[in-house]
Amino acid sequence: MLCQVCGKNNATTHIKTVINGKVTEQNLCGYCAAKKGYSSFSGSSISGLLSSMLGNTVKTDASLYEKHCQNCGTSFANIAETGKVGCAECYKVFEDELYVYLKRIHGSVKHTGKTPGRKELVVAKTTDRISELKIKLTNLVAEEKYEEAAVVRDQIKKLEEEK
Amino acid sequence: MACWYKNNNGGIVISARIRLARNLSDMPFPRRMTPQMFIDLKERVSNAIKALPSDLALKFIEMNNVPETEINAMVERHVISPDFAKNYKDRAIALSADESVSIMIGEEDHIRIQVISEGASLDEAYDIANSIDTALNESLHFAFDDRLGYLTECPTNIGTGLRASLMLHLPVCESRGEINMVADAAGKIGLTVRGMYGEGSKSSASLYQISNQITLGISEKNAIENLKIIASQIEEREKQCRNTIEKINIEDTVFRSLGILKYARLLSTDEFMKHISMIKLGIDEGIIEGRNINPVELLISAQPYMLMKNCVAQTPGERDEARAKMIRELL
Repeated sequence: MLCQVCGKNNATTHIKTVINGKVTEQNLCGYCAAKKGYSSFSGSSISGLLSSMLGNTVKTDASLYEKHCQNCGTSFANIAETGKVGCAECYKVFEDELYVYLKRIHGSVKHTGKTPGRKELVVAKTTDRISELKIKLTNLVAEEKYEEAAVVRDQIKKLEEEK
Repeated sequence: MACWYKNNNGGIVISARIRLARNLSDMPFPRRMTPQMFIDLKERVSNAIKALPSDLALKFIEMNNVPETEINAMVERHVISPDFAKNYKDRAIALSADESVSIMIGEEDHIRIQVISEGASLDEAYDIANSIDTALNESLHFAFDDRLGYLTECPTNIGTGLRASLMLHLPVCESRGEINMVADAAGKIGLTVRGMYGEGSKSSASLYQISNQITLGISEKNAIENLKIIASQIEEREKQCRNTIEKINIEDTVFRSLGILKYARLLSTDEFMKHISMIKLGIDEGIIEGRNINPVELLISAQPYMLMKNCVAQTPGERDEARAKMIRELL
């Protein structure tokens, strides 16, 4: 099949567009497709999805346009538009705004993987801490120090929830 | 480690890839960087790379010095990402001789460590990427938060910064329309199924990449284990599907493709990919025997920019002719 635009080269790119429910299909060669802005490597992306989620927050809370990161100058509106964060500091500045989205994307907001400078995993550290506290709890109960035991019990509960 | 496509041993699982995203703590992410910052970044990373174990023998390459054809051919060989190829100006990579290890500097994050190996050896690839990360961290201070893990430009990568993927050849599952089912199952445990060239790319030659999507709240080890489990189930499904086809039908399809590749004078990328996929199926199923060809290497060398680079074929028409000639001479 020949390209529907130039009529010279073989059509290698099939483009399907849906506008208001109306479907149009085109068969183009690589050159004409690239001219129209379709590249073989482009496509919808997860960050596009993210920016549309964040964009809704900005629409409902106009004050977010004003909030900027002091370190790199990125505003929350910038992040909402691109789905990308400006610098490491932005995660602190926009912590509250980003929290709900991180939770939605990842299902969790607690890192459990590698930590710089150390090969062992953080999760192992948490588990160690829990077993340490459990021993302490048993001892406190044996010593009938119930008030202190209750505090330790709550600490264990909190750590287990964070895991 | 050897080059994943040149030394491919066949089978449904073609390659394993690990990518780690890292950023320096005292510099804005690449979208916010000035040209001077890119110069500083490259200098600091190249110094850190020099201190890596000498057996890695990474070569530092300034992307401004690489011709555009070769940049696109690098994408086709999975050495760099399509996004990196689009914004290559002032960027750099460090690359091992067999191209199994590449470190992109200034992609979406300051540093992207990538290790690709043949077959399903994800653990081996992760060990290499992990040791490079640990070694770079000796001299570079990475952006890290105790709660959020490694910080990245895109919030979809924070935490471990790990993307692990396996590339699978699924011609029979695909022909039965089972890929959506596979993608749904993978999606339920935080994995995605994509085409050969990752995000946004369509599948070609029935090749699919399965990778983890979630990077926060799951350890590297668990993310890799989940991926391995699902990939082996998909592999099993493809095997089951293959076993239910009448031998004569599968032979017919394979030999028709062999016939076309043997005699065609013009082959577009799409047509070539469709038939080479059948040749791979034929070899893996023992239908085509005693042929000393590697279909995975062929499907990489038949990509448009690889042909432009190796055969001086410039227009799509010339490339179709060069592609047909290349495969005809081999068969």
